[in-house]
Amino acid sequence: MELQDEFYNTSQYIETASGNKVSRQSVLCGSQNIVINGKTIVMTGCVIRGDLANVRIGRHCIISKNAVIRPAFKRFSKGVAFFPLHIGDHVLIEEDSIVNAAQVGSFVHIGKNCVIGRRSVLKDCCAIADNTILPPETVVPPFTLCTGSPGKITSELPDCTQDLMTDITVNYYHHFRPHGKGK
Amino acid sequence: MASKKAGGTTNPNLKIAAGAMVCEDCELIGDITIGSRTVIHPKARIVAESGPVVIGEYNIIEELVTITNSSSTESGNGKVLIIGNNNVFEVGANVQAVRVGDHNVIESKAHVGPKVEIGTGCIVGAGCQITMAEQLADYTVIYGGKCERRIQRERPPAQTLQIDFLTKILPNYHYLKKPNTQPASRTAVKK
Repeated sequence: MELQDEFYNTSQYIETASGNKVSRQSVLCGSQNIVINGKTIVMTGCVIRGDLANVRIGRHCIISKNAVIRPAFKRFSKGVAFFPLHIGDHVLIEEDSIVNAAQVGSFVHIGKNCVIGRRSVLKDCCAIADNTILPPETVVPPFTLCTGSPGKITSELPDCTQDLMTDITVNYYHHFRPHGKGK
Repeated sequence: MASKKAGGTTNPNLKIAAGAMVCEDCELIGDITIGSRTVIHPKARIVAESGPVVIGEYNIIEELVTITNSSSTESGNGKVLIIGNNNVFEVGANVQAVRVGDHNVIESKAHVGPKVEIGTGCIVGAGCQITMAEQLADYTVIYGGKCERRIQRERPPAQTLQIDFLTKILPNYHYLKKPNTQPASRTAVKK
């Protein structure tokens, strides 16, 4: 099935030279610490906390409305440290999810309304179902699907997950078009 | 992207003690008192329309948290929502409680309905909802998808270290609302 075109208002989004589309209504705190590698969409109402630690987001990621990307902290004997957060390529984060992870691999799908507990590690090619609550410090292995609260591994993903996620994110990017412009 | 516009409308009923970190980019409506050393992240929302909200010391209120004084459902308004000390409200929590004691943790996306009274040392787990009118016993932990409960022996640790870190970091990146009342003690934080 071909994806439907989704139009956005040109005045609402900023398109960078590397093809990132970032909503003006998103909140990027500490923008000097946020690296977005290209062709990534950051939608309205997203919060990315670059002020706490560095955030690096790969290519062809989609961060849907009202998602929160926030580096996690860990208490040490003296003081607290926030860990830099790396997100791989072709990652789809759906609406209202909160990502407190330490690392998110490539080709990862995070559903709607999820909470990814602090310092979790999501390996490449994994998926988190809608409304999942992952407890802190969870490690999600590759090719698994996590569901529920607390999130548990419930099934495996096909070997072609990488291609599926690439297709989804690339297509989404191509169908995310400025309003009023034709082809 | 700290912008000045959010703080453009000055709220005459807003009282911020010296040493509190309140980002400009949050929404504070109505009569609100914020104790010293409390950290309020950008995009937090505190609504005191139906009665004042008083927030104690050493609290952390993260982004997208909504704290509402919903006392108007009872006859008239004017009941004060008092939030004690050392509480943590994590990202996206929604609190409409009657009272919040000390040392509580309200985790991400938790929902605390009106007519709920939270004691001391409670943890409301991520995504858990409390909607019935009730008084949470001290040290209650609510967890899991079915909002199960248990009582823990000790209260969750205070987040003093995190507050120290945040008070160092936040002024570098955000415009802060100026404190306008002097607390009993505590030196004012720079900037």
